[in-house]
Amino acid sequence: INSKKECQVDLEFTTEHYNPEEGEERLGKCSAQVFFKNEKPRPTINVTCMRFMEKSKRQQEDYLLYKHMKQLKDPLDVISIPDSHGHIDPSLRPIWDLAFLGSSYVMWEKTTQFLHYYMAQLSSVKQWKTDEDAIDFDYTVLLHEFSTQEIIPCRIHLVWHPSKPLKVKYHCQGPQAPEEASGIEGSAAAPTMGLTNY
Amino acid sequence: MQGLLIFSLLLGAVLGKEDFVGHQVLRISVADEAQVQKVTELEDLEHLQLDFWRGPAQPGSPVDVRVPFPSLQAVKVFLETHGIEYTIMIEDVQSLLDEEEEQMFAFQARAASTDTFNYATYHTLDEIYGFMDMLVAEHPQLVSKLQIGKTYEGRPIYVLKFSTGGNNRPAIWIDTGIHSREWVTQASGIWFAKKITQDYGQNPAFTAILDKMDIFLEIVTNPDGFAFTHSKNRLWRKTRSITAGSSCVGVDPNRNWDAGFGKAGASSNPCSETYHGKFANSETEVKSIVDFVKSHGNIKAFISIHSYSQLLLYPYGYTTDPAKDQAELDELAKSAVTALASLYGTKFKYGSIIKAIYRASGGTIDWTYNQGIKYSYTFELRDTGRYGFLLPASQIVPTAQETWLALQTIMDHTLKHPY
Repeated sequence: INSKKECQVDLEFTTEHYNPEEGEERLGKCSAQVFFKNEKPRPTINVTCMRFMEKSKRQQEDYLLYKHMKQLKDPLDVISIPDSHGHIDPSLRPIWDLAFLGSSYVMWEKTTQFLHYYMAQLSSVKQWKTDEDAIDFDYTVLLHEFSTQEIIPCRIHLVWHPSKPLKVKYHCQGPQAPEEASGIEGSAAAPTMGLTNY
Repeated sequence: MQGLLIFSLLLGAVLGKEDFVGHQVLRISVADEAQVQKVTELEDLEHLQLDFWRGPAQPGSPVDVRVPFPSLQAVKVFLETHGIEYTIMIEDVQSLLDEEEEQMFAFQARAASTDTFNYATYHTLDEIYGFMDMLVAEHPQLVSKLQIGKTYEGRPIYVLKFSTGGNNRPAIWIDTGIHSREWVTQASGIWFAKKITQDYGQNPAFTAILDKMDIFLEIVTNPDGFAFTHSKNRLWRKTRSITAGSSCVGVDPNRNWDAGFGKAGASSNPCSETYHGKFANSETEVKSIVDFVKSHGNIKAFISIHSYSQLLLYPYGYTTDPAKDQAELDELAKSAVTALASLYGTKFKYGSIIKAIYRASGGTIDWTYNQGIKYSYTFELRDTGRYGFLLPASQIVPTAQETWLALQTIMDHTLKHPY
């Protein structure tokens, strides 16, 4: 690998069941190769997992989570998760997790071998619509980029239904020029993530 | 709902000096329309002075009523005679009010001593400054407070000095909170201060250190920034100095030191989080430490604490040239992180700044190292990005505890390797 033009990162990590049950085996093992080319973002990712949940079971679990989320109290007046003290109300946890899911797509679109992102905070919820067939979630997050230490506010709009690929649109504020992009997860390059295995 | 009613009762009690001793709140289960009727009749009996929190509505809906002590027997007999079921929700309204009042005021009240101070929560600048004064008052022989300067906005900059005597003994410097949003660091600083007063005379290895060396601890190294994280922006990093010609505020205090100042690894854009400032030591928060270190002249270890990413770093950040003492610094770092991991298994990586994290110029420990302070280290505490700067308060004490083990390792080595 030509280290000027290409960069490969090999990872090993474990996954955990989103809602672990008593006595159930908790950890799945995964390995991944993340491939950066020409210092560009949107690295190619190859993931292999052992003990991955069977597809039908995954779908079932996704659907249960989806139903649970649909019943959540409207979080429109919520700001800052976690709060200044790092606290997340347990009832709001699924909202943070869903926000993280959308943010992870945005972060993948921006990550290069030199730019690394973290989701610092869910700063506000603009819209949380569950009356139709999908969860329509419009929110802002603060991303923290490590090498520049900058905090980047991003407005994200995601639409989630368990049987369809996640739809993410976003707009991040930049110090130079604002970026704008949209995307649909679930294409061949990016693996679709079931929330239960997140 | 009950909380609101209790509160208004409390307010009434406090303001109107009403007394609720012996009052009970009953929950009445009305089984049918007839029973609903009967309870409604009770409502009309003014002399009973009943206070319905949840009035009679329909069968199945509970009825909640506060009954003054003198009316209790009459009401209970009435209900029992008519076969109406009830339970006692609140046995004594006054004692509940008293308890709540205690809690309310306790929550706001300051700790009276460093023993009752809550180390497992994040504090304001005032609370931290109050803590310092208490600690000095409780251990006047060991601890003193020095003011080394003033911030851009005029706040005092304090350093705690821990000393068992001597005259300008070789010293260890520890600072936390230079980047204001890294709240676990100031919180850990408070814990370290208390720990020092607890361990001296109790822990032989630590006592040996403090018997020969002084410790300087600057808990809030960036007070203006810290106040700003409480009042306006929790994720503020820099100082709050105004830059002429720019609408952006603040300089990165960890790019403002005179070591590779202005080189690659800092920004010349005032709006950037890593803006180095117009010149080295432009920030009083930095200059105060520089002046202190130079005039003291006998500091042997300098440790600057940040968060997050779980790293222990040594110079350099502004150049790939290895530090002269690289081998020893690396070896000591390894021992320190091993000690740290021994408590909760928290894994830290270690190395030079430029290799382990990123190129950074004008950094604190590059300057202190170039001044001849060999044991110059920077910590990046928990976590690795899940909560980042917004680390849950429940992790403050474990973080401080494990970090202390690493600090002790470094201090111990400094004691045993005088130079």
